[in-house]
Amino acid sequence: MSSGEPPSAAMLTVFSERRSDLVITAREARAEGVISLTLADPGGARLPAWTPGAHIDLLLGDAVRQYSLCGPPGDQHTWRIAVLLDPGGRGGSVTVHQTLKVGDQVAVRGPRNHFPLHAAPRYIFLAGGIGITPIMPMIAVATEAGSDWRLFYGGRSRTSMAFLDELAPYGEQVTTWPDDEKGLLPLDDILASPADNELVYCCGPEGLLAATEQRCAAWPAGALHLERFSAKPQPESAVGQEVPFEVVCQRSGLTVTVPPGTSIIDALDEQGVSVLSSCQEGVCGTCETQVLEGVPDHRDSLLSEDEREANEYMMVCVSRSKSDRLVLDL
Amino acid sequence: MTDARYYAASPADHAGPGNYPLNCWYVVATSDEVGRSLLGRQVLGRRLLLFRRQDGQVAALDDRCPHRAAPLSMGTLDGDQVVCRYHGFTYAADGECVRVPSQRHVPYGAHVRGYPVYEQPPFVWVWPGNPARSHGTEPPDLPPLREPGWAVLGGSLEMAVNYMLLHDNALDRTHFPYVHPHRIHRGYVEDPPPLQIEVAETTVSYSRTFTPAPLAGWQHEATGLPADMEYTQRETGTFVSPALHVDDMDIIGPEPERQLFRGVFIRAFTPVDAGRTLIIWRGARNYARGDESVTERLREVYEGTMTEDQPLLEAIQATTGGGAGYQVSAAADAAAIRAYQIVEALLAEERGRSVIGRRVARRD
Repeated sequence: MSSGEPPSAAMLTVFSERRSDLVITAREARAEGVISLTLADPGGARLPAWTPGAHIDLLLGDAVRQYSLCGPPGDQHTWRIAVLLDPGGRGGSVTVHQTLKVGDQVAVRGPRNHFPLHAAPRYIFLAGGIGITPIMPMIAVATEAGSDWRLFYGGRSRTSMAFLDELAPYGEQVTTWPDDEKGLLPLDDILASPADNELVYCCGPEGLLAATEQRCAAWPAGALHLERFSAKPQPESAVGQEVPFEVVCQRSGLTVTVPPGTSIIDALDEQGVSVLSSCQEGVCGTCETQVLEGVPDHRDSLLSEDEREANEYMMVCVSRSKSDRLVLDL
Repeated sequence: MTDARYYAASPADHAGPGNYPLNCWYVVATSDEVGRSLLGRQVLGRRLLLFRRQDGQVAALDDRCPHRAAPLSMGTLDGDQVVCRYHGFTYAADGECVRVPSQRHVPYGAHVRGYPVYEQPPFVWVWPGNPARSHGTEPPDLPPLREPGWAVLGGSLEMAVNYMLLHDNALDRTHFPYVHPHRIHRGYVEDPPPLQIEVAETTVSYSRTFTPAPLAGWQHEATGLPADMEYTQRETGTFVSPALHVDDMDIIGPEPERQLFRGVFIRAFTPVDAGRTLIIWRGARNYARGDESVTERLREVYEGTMTEDQPLLEAIQATTGGGAGYQVSAAADAAAIRAYQIVEALLAEERGRSVIGRRVARRD
């Protein structure tokens, strides 16, 4: 039909992350205050493939929480996450612990991966508490790849540390380090000798990440890979002190003014430029955008100092501008 | 550089210019092609030897005798052993040399590389990367090819294009009014609905639901639904892995039954080398399952669509040398752009290297 006739109307493209409603097929206690949930498609359909370090968003009413996938990456039909109960947190973990049960449906977005495991002959894995979750599939894959690796796993106490049973078969490659028995992880010893071709992967509380970053200063650039679970503490910036600036979207040819108190992402959205985003607090990296001109005021928890100074990328969900004008690759 | 196992897989894996991840399952043949004889096939930057062992399992080896490089596919299959045509070097199904006729002992290093194989008829999948990384993984499950309730047709063809051009083309709906004008229904040109693109870490899919419109000619012929009625249609396409693209095309039948007429177009894209791709495809449908004339009608649609694309894609390959090198993209290219990014990230992970200019690789 209609041969050779060009489209008479423009087509709208809507870009979003994969969202799916999954059913909880198992709920298991993994340690004091830690449960794991196994998720599957209600119709048994294949789930998208992922690689170690990937996480998903759990959409809990108004709240969105990120959880690392911690089951076997080869499993096409189920995903596993583990959730630490944090009564002093923002409430997501309390909802998960108190309300979710086998048979319930949960909305999920992703997976995405901002903590990918790069092939290497040797690895040091550092996990603190629930930070063990992304490390679980990493050591499985590193083992299969024949890489030489060691895991140092710290936690408040042995009973609070999840997956010790699944780690037991790895024997001496895994060093468990409960605070109440041994104190903090001996990072000075673990990271004493920088090595080529050895990568360090670290996930855990801010204290562990900061200490690891500091100890790795002498390591080759690119050796250390970190994942943060929550935003780095930021200096308070009162809305009253924020100033408006202009954002030019190079590809869309659109110029948008971002007023004080409004994020770049929201200002763009109002003008019909949608940017993929998720956490809205500069943690997840979904909204990473290339900077073509201008100087961003970085407020995220992802970029290193070098990367901030390079001005090549920014997280448009939280970061603003030091210059009057930013040109972005959007 | 101390771990021999890690590095053992590397040099051969990265032989030749390949922009395809090696730690991935690729379809290299169909089940009916592999039997009790030796099949040589040029795929994935190498020559593969495929044959079926006596127990029915498929074996995949490099098709090259390590002695004087004769293709083993020119030799003979003796039980589960492959005998080279040139000097009679004999290899077990796992690639170990078991006999050298001219001497008593087998020389050190006389073995042929074997590959992990996974057969889920009608496809034979091979993992060209680090064999250990295949453990615990399976190729994507394709229920219409194994469950009852579907009629399946298929074939294969080779195109002189890089495999990513085929993914790009498969994720793009906006070329249809230009390249396949007689194969589309009115919804494609009049008020096309929003194209929903959904991304995940290693997959990307598009989907859209059209407002009711009359069927395209071939749809009316295949389903037997009247040409003068309007039907809701939905189409979804997914980049499942670098090796696979799957399209679902649904027509919702009339009230009150609202029968679902579903066609599933499965395309395995297997790089032959940087400039050629083997396409092994299947079309499954849940309607008119016993009707041979419908099968032939759909064969013309599937093959015709691909051969209509072919001259354009091969010309693009010739222009760009296979590297994307596009100067401009449109909003509708979002899915394809994402597919390129996914592959770039998979390659970076596999090669232990940062994606150039990307932060994700070095969060230090």
